[in-house]
Amino acid sequence: MKHFKLFKSSLIALALASSQASFAESFAITNATVHTVTEQGVLKNATVIVEDGKVIAINPTTVNADTVIDAEGKILTPGFIGSMNQMGLVEVGAVARSRDAGDKKADITFDASLAFNPRTTVIPYSRKGGITTNIVAPRGGDDMFKGQTFVADLSGEFDSVRVSNNNVIIDLGAKSKGSRASSLQKLQNKLEDAAKKLVKAKKSSNDKKDKKEAKEPSRETKVINALLSGDKALVAYADRATDLLALLKLKESYKLDLVFVGAADAVLIADDIAAAEVPVVMSALDNLPGSFDSLHTSLENAAKLTAAGVNVALTVDGDTHNLYQLRFHAGNAVANGLSREDALAAVTANVADAFNLDSGRVAVGKTADLVLWSADPFELSSSVAKIWINGKEYSTKSRQDKLRERYTTNSNMPRAYTK
Amino acid sequence: MQKLLPSFAMAAISVALTGCLQSEQQDAKVEINKNPYPSTYKTLPQQTTLIKNATVLTGTGTRLNNTDVLVVDGKISKIGENLSAAGAQEVDANGKWVTPGIIDVHSHLGVYPSPSVESHSDGNEMTSPNTSEVWAEHSVWPQDPGFQAARAGGITTLQILPGSANLFGGRGVTLRNVPSETMQGMKFPNAPYGLKMACGENPKRVYGSRKVLPSTRMGNMAGYRMAWAEATEYKRAWEKYEADYAAGKNPIAPVRDIELDTLKGVLDGDILIHNHCYKAEEMAMMIDLGKEFNYHSGTFHHAIEGYKIADKLAENGNCAAMWPDWWGFKMEAYDMVHENVAIVDAVKNSCAVVHSDSSSTIQRLNQEAGKVMYRANDNGFEIKPELAITWITSNAAKSLGLSDETGSLEAGKKADVVIWNQNPFSVYAQAEKVFIDGAKVYDRHDDKYQAKSDFLLGQR
Repeated sequence: MKHFKLFKSSLIALALASSQASFAESFAITNATVHTVTEQGVLKNATVIVEDGKVIAINPTTVNADTVIDAEGKILTPGFIGSMNQMGLVEVGAVARSRDAGDKKADITFDASLAFNPRTTVIPYSRKGGITTNIVAPRGGDDMFKGQTFVADLSGEFDSVRVSNNNVIIDLGAKSKGSRASSLQKLQNKLEDAAKKLVKAKKSSNDKKDKKEAKEPSRETKVINALLSGDKALVAYADRATDLLALLKLKESYKLDLVFVGAADAVLIADDIAAAEVPVVMSALDNLPGSFDSLHTSLENAAKLTAAGVNVALTVDGDTHNLYQLRFHAGNAVANGLSREDALAAVTANVADAFNLDSGRVAVGKTADLVLWSADPFELSSSVAKIWINGKEYSTKSRQDKLRERYTTNSNMPRAYTK
Repeated sequence: MQKLLPSFAMAAISVALTGCLQSEQQDAKVEINKNPYPSTYKTLPQQTTLIKNATVLTGTGTRLNNTDVLVVDGKISKIGENLSAAGAQEVDANGKWVTPGIIDVHSHLGVYPSPSVESHSDGNEMTSPNTSEVWAEHSVWPQDPGFQAARAGGITTLQILPGSANLFGGRGVTLRNVPSETMQGMKFPNAPYGLKMACGENPKRVYGSRKVLPSTRMGNMAGYRMAWAEATEYKRAWEKYEADYAAGKNPIAPVRDIELDTLKGVLDGDILIHNHCYKAEEMAMMIDLGKEFNYHSGTFHHAIEGYKIADKLAENGNCAAMWPDWWGFKMEAYDMVHENVAIVDAVKNSCAVVHSDSSSTIQRLNQEAGKVMYRANDNGFEIKPELAITWITSNAAKSLGLSDETGSLEAGKKADVVIWNQNPFSVYAQAEKVFIDGAKVYDRHDDKYQAKSDFLLGQR
């Protein structure tokens, strides 16, 4: 038995070694039309070299790589980045025991990355949409703070959570019970109290250096302090212009790193948002007045905000299973006035910038999250030809493909025998 | 069954009475008005229109290049090359595509409108598993801004259905997508009513949690069967009344039951079934249920697993109205495949429909159909635009019982027409002009033809 155990662990060691070996392999994508989403713009007949999960060269003078992939002129883009959904936290919406995105008692410290399931069927399916990375946002609970976002890639590997607890989610605006004012007031008070304590703590540590150490702040206070220090962004669901303006004010007072999500009224105060450099995460397809907070939604908002200088990131409105459609949302934004370049940035670089990710661009040193497309990435007719996450190629085959194959294959036996 | 007892008692008395009073005069015959809220829809101002040089998808499976479409008196008059008509308003459609008006067989616009406020949440009468007595038309808020948005997406006809909480959700209504102050002003003249039924998870969840039947799928089936059995008795009672009256007797009419009127309407073939049903095994049972009680099981809505029983659907003449890609929100929506519509469509005599069930995607049913076409073609199908368009036009019209009136561009049909700026199955496609009964109801480039809901007036 002992012998067997040893044998098993040596196998694992071997497996690990070989996976690391393949990781270190380099490859070149040649003859690609590279949409870099950098100042370099679009590079035709370009070569991209990837090694150790990073892009290490673009158009080098000599191509030195273990494998060469001829892109045949196809479009290569950064992997698309989803955001503000529950991927990996929900397998089936209506199956309680497959849901981990919320908890009645979840507060500002709620770390849903502990529940992330990289084996969810949603992940391979979402790769069909060229999604390589995702900012997962828990639903939280009764508290206005819904917990913290985390970043996961779509490799489906057990180590695919890239960053946990990176930003604080708050839900503001219209309420079914009570007043929106209480939430804003509570937020303001928390920031004010924490800021005062920090000043006091600093002062007292200067005054009484020899005295016993100040009491350890609570976990909650630490998170608020991280907002004040800019280590975490405040990601705020808010729609009405008054709420957005109140948040801009808090940003100014406390030097917050702020991200708006939804922001239906943003077009009314686009210049203020642009001046404050607050990114807006929004759906390109919201155009109905869903509530009195969102009377100004429009298919043209992504274009209008971008024109005003706002950093717009597109998302598939709170939906987890349909994240693959993100590219079609971008296409619709283009049909409604956004330039193709800006639309591509809105599903790559802008999302990365809003959430501080080291991806979203094809540039030397960036994580090699890349997608090669059969044609125009936003078109209904196109599809993913190849997708790399962390420099490793993954398949877009999903459970859905197996079902289709089963039911389109002729057999004189029941379908269950077709696997 | 209990409900019927009084009327049977009455019938018994009436037989007794007629027995002794043979010579008595007949009372006035009790007639049920089948159309108490009639359409007042009127065609908007229209004129003879000649659309020139378009790529035309007729909705009958045909594509015609460089073709003209002539609209006279609200009807398609001619389709062909080099047409001319004196006094016609000409529309240069060179480089543009023309399709029939888009039809959505599954919408909740008006009954779950925007804004989504408590006061307007009128789509699901979740008070009893059988609410065949409710009519969606009585909930429609014509000022829902969603109607305008859908029109900008080419929607000319749409069926508004009650929700799926109940085994029998009530009657649906088919509307013309024109602005009006009243539901009647939008109502599609003489369109058959639909009856919304629901399989699966929703009814058993809603009522199971209240300890009321159904709490299981077998409870669902029992609920349908009890209702149809009762409706069968009700129909028989009325037929006996009719027959006796016709024979010169003076029978007492059965007690009127608004709930059973709707079910009887189905048994009489006047009302079409629209059945929210996801799963293969459930659809198969609903088909048999229809046979058990002598009605047609109609259109399956959502039909996530339609592809598993595509042959059965076609054999039994069922339409299936499906999404291209929604999934995962419930167990019964877990087995989605992108090619569902294409697989259902591929069988002879099939009736595959793409529907929205959404105030958002109703604005882009062309793209929804496009997604299916391209994913299917990625996987061995060879579907062309002239076929894909049928999923949101002629097949949808068939599902609503309106094939003779709309859903295709053929001489004599209603001139429900969309002019697209390009191939409608592109993500960049936009409806430029939309006509209903030959009247222009939307023009992307002319503010005069962009209606605005009262609700948004003055605040946006």
